[in-house]
Amino acid sequence: MSAFYLEESDFSPFLEAVIHEKRVIGPVAKRKKFVYAPLETADDLRLDFDVTILPPKKIFFPPAQDIVRFEGSQVADCIGPIDTVLLGVHFYDVKGIDQTDLVFRECNADWNYLAQREATTIVASNIQAIAPRAFWDSVGTQVQAKGHDAFLTKVDAGYVLVTRTPKGDALIRYGNFREATTEQVESAVQINAEVMGKCPERLDYSSDEISAKVRDSFDHQKMWDELAEDCFSCGSCNTVCPTCYCFDVRDEWNLDQDSGTRTRYWDSCLTREFARITQPGGMSENFRERHSSRFRHRFMRKTTYLNDKLGGPACIGCGRCSSACTANIASPVRVITAIMEWSS
Amino acid sequence: MSNETATRQRGSHESLFVPREARIIHTSQTTATEKHFTLQLADGSTLDYVPGQILEVGVMGYGEIPIGLASSPTRRYGFEIVVRTVGRVSTAINSKDVGDSLWIRGPLGHGFDLDALRGQNVLIVAGGIGICPTRSLIQYVADRREEFGRFVLFYGARDPMQLLFPEDRGVWRAAYGIEYHETVDRADVSWTGNVGVITTLFKTTHLEQDTRVVICGPPVMFEFVIHELDAIGIPRENIYVDLERRMKCGVGKCGHCQINDKYCCIDGPVFTYSEIQALEEAI
Repeated sequence: MSAFYLEESDFSPFLEAVIHEKRVIGPVAKRKKFVYAPLETADDLRLDFDVTILPPKKIFFPPAQDIVRFEGSQVADCIGPIDTVLLGVHFYDVKGIDQTDLVFRECNADWNYLAQREATTIVASNIQAIAPRAFWDSVGTQVQAKGHDAFLTKVDAGYVLVTRTPKGDALIRYGNFREATTEQVESAVQINAEVMGKCPERLDYSSDEISAKVRDSFDHQKMWDELAEDCFSCGSCNTVCPTCYCFDVRDEWNLDQDSGTRTRYWDSCLTREFARITQPGGMSENFRERHSSRFRHRFMRKTTYLNDKLGGPACIGCGRCSSACTANIASPVRVITAIMEWSS
Repeated sequence: MSNETATRQRGSHESLFVPREARIIHTSQTTATEKHFTLQLADGSTLDYVPGQILEVGVMGYGEIPIGLASSPTRRYGFEIVVRTVGRVSTAINSKDVGDSLWIRGPLGHGFDLDALRGQNVLIVAGGIGICPTRSLIQYVADRREEFGRFVLFYGARDPMQLLFPEDRGVWRAAYGIEYHETVDRADVSWTGNVGVITTLFKTTHLEQDTRVVICGPPVMFEFVIHELDAIGIPRENIYVDLERRMKCGVGKCGHCQINDKYCCIDGPVFTYSEIQALEEAI
C-alpha cells in the first residue's frame, strides 16, 4: 500500500492520459441524477455525486449480457473483456462488488462476469455528497470494502491516492503523482472519517440482531402482509440493488432466423413469474405466489440467508431501493425497523 | 461436486453457458404430451453422470429447460430424457426427431447418494413425471442388483394413459428382485390394478424401518408420503427428495431455484428430507 498526492491542476491531465489508453467509466451527470458511463473527457467525471441510479455491478454484469452466440450448428461464448478503469466508486458500492465477486466466483466460476471484473481497475473515491435515503454508515459495519485497487480522496488543494494492488500502482505512471506527506494522508483519513455518521437514515440494530429477528419472523404472515400491502411486484427494488444478481435467460434470433444470441437479463424475485413453473394443462406451480411471500424472500435474502457466506448482510445501505420503490415501501430501514419493533 | 470438476476440466476461463451438441438417436412419443429421447454427444464422448443429476436441455433460439436424466450411467449407449410439452422451449424440443440435435449443459447438481443407498433396502416413490428422473436410479439398482438390499418401487399416475415406460413396467413387474406396485388416481375401463393416490400403496407391502426412501413427484405428493414414512418410523435423514424448481442457469447463479440459502440446481435437486424440512418454501 502506497500513498500518492496529485495537485488539483494535475488531475485532468492524469485522467485524460488514462482515457487515452483505456476505457474509463465513472459517475457522470444525467439530468439531476448520476449514472456510471464511459468518460469522453475528464470534465465528464462528477466525483461530487451522491449515488448513481444503477450500481457499478452493471460494468461486469450488464442489464443485458450476451452469453452464447449461435449460428446453425456452431455455438460460441461471448466473453470479451475490455481493459477498463472504473473510477469513482463509493465504499458501499465496493462492498456490493465484493459480494457479486463472491457469488459469481464460488462453486462454478462465471467468466462472463469474472473476465470483465479482472480486466477492470477499481478506484474508490471519498463521499462528497450523501444520497437522501442513504444509511451506509449503520448497516453491515463489520464488513470492510476490499475489492478496490486504489482509493482516491479529495483533499484541500488536490487528491490523495492510496494504492492497494499492482493494478492500482499501475495508474501512477499516468499522472504527475508524488509521494503523499504524512499530513496529506492524515487529512484524507480525517475527511473519510468525518462522513461517517452523517447519513439521513439509520438502522439502530446490529446485523446479527437483525438476522436473528428477521429469520424468526418468517411465519408472521400478518406482519409481512402489512409490510408488503402496497407492493406492485414491479421489481424496481431488485433492479437498482447492488447485491441482487438474479437473471433470466432468453434466446433471440437475428434477422436471418438462423443465427442469434442467448442473453441473460437482470431478473427480479419480486415479480410474479420468478419462481413459477409451468405444468401441463395450462396449470402452474408458483413457489412464492403471494406478493408478501416474494417481499419476504427479498428481505430474507438481504438480511439473513446469505450472511454466513458474505460475513454480513446482503445490503450495503445505498438507499437506491428506498428511492426507486414506486409505492415507497421498500426501504430496508423502514422494513427492518418495523420487524425489530414488531410484537405479535 | 461433480459439476465443479467438470468446469475445471474444461479449462479455467471457459463459459458456463456454452452448450454441447447432442444428437437424437431414438425417440418415442410416450404419451400425448411426453416424448422420450435417446441422445449421444456429437463429439463422440460419453456423458458421465450420477442418477438424479440434471441437464439443461435446449434448442438454440428457443432456450433451455432443466430435465432430469432418465437413464442410468450403467448403460453406455447414450443417455435418455423425457420431455413434457408444456411451454415454448419444451414444445421446440419435442418438435425434434432422430437426426436432429439438442443442445445440453451438464450433468448438473447433486444426484442420489449411491454410497448411502448401497447395501440398504431401497424404496422409490415416483408420482407422475417424477418417474423420469427416478428411472435413472431404478435402472442403476436393477443393473447392480446385488449391491442393494430389498428393492420396492411405487409408481402412481393420474390415469392409465399417463403411466410412462410401458416396456419398463413390464420388466419391473416380471423382474426377480424388484417389488413393483403401481396405482392410478382414476381408472378407465381397461384398468384392473390399484386405484387411489400413491399413498394407498403403503398398505400393499410391509416396509422395514431402515429402508432408504427416494421420493420424486408433484409438490403436493411429498407431505402425504412423508406422513406414511413417519408412521413406519423411517428416519428423515434416510429419506431423499428430488425437487423441481424453475431454473435458468443450472449452475447456482440465476437465483430462480433458491430455497432459503440453498440452490436446487447445485445443492440439489436431490436433498435428504432432514436437510430441507426446516427450510420454508421447500416443500
